[in-house]
Amino acid sequence: MYRLLIKHFFRSKTVWLAFGILMFLGVLSISTGKQFLNQKQATIAKTAEQQQKHIETQTKLYEDDIGLLLYYLKFSFVNPVQPLAGISMGQSDVNSHIQNVSILNLEGQKYDTDLVNPMRLQVGNLDISFLIIFLFPLIIIALSFNILSEEKEKGTWKMITTQGISPFKFLLKKLSIRVVFIYIALSILLFLAKVVLGIPFAIEFLYIIIISYLYILFWFALCFFVILLRKSSNTNAITLLSSWLVLVVFLPVLVNNYVANKYPVEEAFAMTIKQRDAYHTKWDTDKKETMEKFYNHYPQFRKYELKETGFSWLWYYAMQQMGDDESKVERDAMFDKIRKREQLSASIAQFFPPLQVQLSMNTIAHTDLSNYVAFLNETTRFHENIRLQLYPKIFENQPASSVNWQEYEPVFFEHQNNFNMLKSVFPLLLLTLILIGLGVFRNLKYFR
Amino acid sequence: MKNNAIILIGTQFFKKTFYTKGLFVLLSLFLAVLAYVTISGWNAYEANHHVVEHHQESSRKSWEENPDKHPHRMAHFGTFAFRAQHPLRIFDSGIESYTGNSIFLEAHRQNTANFSEASLSTGLVRFGDLNIAMLLQLILPLIIFFIGYASITAERENGTLKIIYIQGTPLNKVLLGKALGLFLLSTLFFLPSLLALWSISFIENHTMNSAIIVRSILISIGYIIFFMTLCCITVIVSAKSINSNRALLSLLAGWLLFFIIIPKTAQVIGNSLYPNLSKIEFKAVIEEEVTKQGDSHNPDDPYFNAVRDSVLKANNVTDVKDLPFNYSGFIMSKGEKQTALIYNDQHKKLIKTYEHQNSITDNLVLINPYLAIKNLSMSLSGTDFYTYTHFLSQTEKYRYQQSQYLNDLQMKFISNKAKSSEGKINVVDKSYWKSAPTFSYEYVSIADTIFNQITAIIALIIWLLLTIIFITKFSNRFKII
Repeated sequence: MYRLLIKHFFRSKTVWLAFGILMFLGVLSISTGKQFLNQKQATIAKTAEQQQKHIETQTKLYEDDIGLLLYYLKFSFVNPVQPLAGISMGQSDVNSHIQNVSILNLEGQKYDTDLVNPMRLQVGNLDISFLIIFLFPLIIIALSFNILSEEKEKGTWKMITTQGISPFKFLLKKLSIRVVFIYIALSILLFLAKVVLGIPFAIEFLYIIIISYLYILFWFALCFFVILLRKSSNTNAITLLSSWLVLVVFLPVLVNNYVANKYPVEEAFAMTIKQRDAYHTKWDTDKKETMEKFYNHYPQFRKYELKETGFSWLWYYAMQQMGDDESKVERDAMFDKIRKREQLSASIAQFFPPLQVQLSMNTIAHTDLSNYVAFLNETTRFHENIRLQLYPKIFENQPASSVNWQEYEPVFFEHQNNFNMLKSVFPLLLLTLILIGLGVFRNLKYFR
Repeated sequence: MKNNAIILIGTQFFKKTFYTKGLFVLLSLFLAVLAYVTISGWNAYEANHHVVEHHQESSRKSWEENPDKHPHRMAHFGTFAFRAQHPLRIFDSGIESYTGNSIFLEAHRQNTANFSEASLSTGLVRFGDLNIAMLLQLILPLIIFFIGYASITAERENGTLKIIYIQGTPLNKVLLGKALGLFLLSTLFFLPSLLALWSISFIENHTMNSAIIVRSILISIGYIIFFMTLCCITVIVSAKSINSNRALLSLLAGWLLFFIIIPKTAQVIGNSLYPNLSKIEFKAVIEEEVTKQGDSHNPDDPYFNAVRDSVLKANNVTDVKDLPFNYSGFIMSKGEKQTALIYNDQHKKLIKTYEHQNSITDNLVLINPYLAIKNLSMSLSGTDFYTYTHFLSQTEKYRYQQSQYLNDLQMKFISNKAKSSEGKINVVDKSYWKSAPTFSYEYVSIADTIFNQITAIIALIIWLLLTIIFITKFSNRFKII
């Protein structure tokens, strides 16, 4: 029985076409991922060399004025790209991976973007996560929308029911061939991705595999449900395609639009103006007042006293510090908005598998928004560390050679995501079971 | 008399489909979404307009409120340029979610445009933007395919096609009639969308120099041609398919290929053929170029020492302190000019690389009507790549102008003996801050837009002509039974 069904399945041109499309786009998406990883990794590899060169030239130019030297000197902080990012690029092509900051006012430097072609960003990426979320459902629909209706329309269904085999089992067999076939295609692609992108076989990759398989099962469950409504092939096709259109194309943009309009992040503008004004106005206000604020922030530097007249780096860097310190309210408001956006997206997404799968994959691959926010926050810590190391040198006016510049190599950011596998697959699993259950339940009297 | 058959078939198809329940549901859903998208887009635009205006004013205000100051302090105080949106972005937001919204403009430093919508959004933003154009470009074509895929195959399967043929109507007239009927049905969907476009353009007509009416007319024509072409294609595919199932699958595969896969692939290929520099590499190139040509911040730089010597000679003095103007202001203005030239040069190269990356998509416009309407709609709505680079070059021009204004002030009013920019001694009167140039963004002219998109316009017209010619000339050979 199975053998004949499989034979029949592969006789269809649609099957070969579907397989061809999947493999072609699969290879294309993996190479896109590979190219993306290569570009990012090459840039990251160069930073160490560039930083060394930069420090060498600058320390030579300003060797006798460490205050001036540190006005120019920049230090790199790197958010490394995981190989999994090749599977799900998420927001990692939008946001910068390398921070290159001097010890001046950080808020003026932290949000600088990388150079990316906006056209490319708008068209979106062709990575495997896109293939799985967007294309696989369509192929599943094309392969299975008429497995029952076609038999009925051709008149072969009666022959099957009169042969004494359970029609329900027959239908399940037909569907299971398709499930196995699609799973094999997906496995080939994931294996290829693992080899080409150099993904280590760790728990994170396993999560991606499980989520993909469950997502595909969800679509089969939806097909199963619609098939068992026992309508004509045309109606099935239209119903399934409309569900696909709504779930994969329409709802995601609607949700995003809703979230973006509900929480517009205008605080970003307010913050960026504030950090400028807070620093610059200090040139015209009382020096002592500025210094007092600075000493309050760093009591350990109270021992460095300001001389009565003239310019001093102590005062200058205290002013710079005020840019960061006094824009804190606006900055917190901005990050609060971003957090709200994340929470709202996540809570809506759990009801809609395509959204849920995309967000989960991004989280697993460290390419989501929270990774970027964590990177920004960690940049602040990195910056503060360097400040604290170098402030005393400036305030004591030590020669530039007193610092061991060799130690200042790019620092790499390590991010622990708090991905909850159970929480992210539970709704998906539940929906799948409900669909299968409903399908079976409605048809109990037909299939025994 | 003869054309009556086309109109008859068209209206018959229209009436028959119009009264089906499915169409009613689809249409009400579409209109509801359209209403939501228009209203929410409009609100977002108004809010953004307000926010930009407010911040532009408040940043200018804090600039003008500066007390008497050394001009170089003001040069680093800097200004912000916020990108003002074109009102038609409510219709088509193009690449706006991905372009930075604010630039900090200061002396001898070119900053990036930051805080794009996408950089502050979750991964959901990558599914695309919701706006009227998205409904018209991606969703409505699918609806047209859904309504029209069986237009001919159903007649053939019922056996009515041969009856119509026997009664003396050639097949090409049947096809044209069906295409007409399908187009009439699609007007139910796109006419309200264009109505939304027109209400935007009438109410936001006060926006200066936006050429909004001309743009709206061109957008309307573009979409009408696009939908006509799609209706013809749907009918042709339906006529050429063996059965309705096959017709639907072919149309769907076509949609997937032309609307999703080709656009994405083209951009991916463009990016891998012409990779651009990362920001760090870009900065390193500029830094290297500056040290090669002369660094005004380096006291021993040979190029700037030569400049100094020639200035000393021209003024017949031996020390820069004896010059009739502020020497460091002079050197800064020279340095500004030189670094701006180097930067502009490199920036032009970068934009050229981006253009190369986009060139694959731009060339595919000829074989892909979706890309043609997408690019055209984006350009006319003032949300395309060209508009963005246009904005960047305007901000850079303004930045340069402002820096040189401040350098001139320094040369004129600051004593040559001044050692530092600190305190109240070496200052310029604050009235000069008010008279500093202001940044006002100019929209791309409509002539430039049309010139940029001429291939897209031609491609759309050619596609329509080709499909109509194909129907009238070749469809008589199609199978009737």
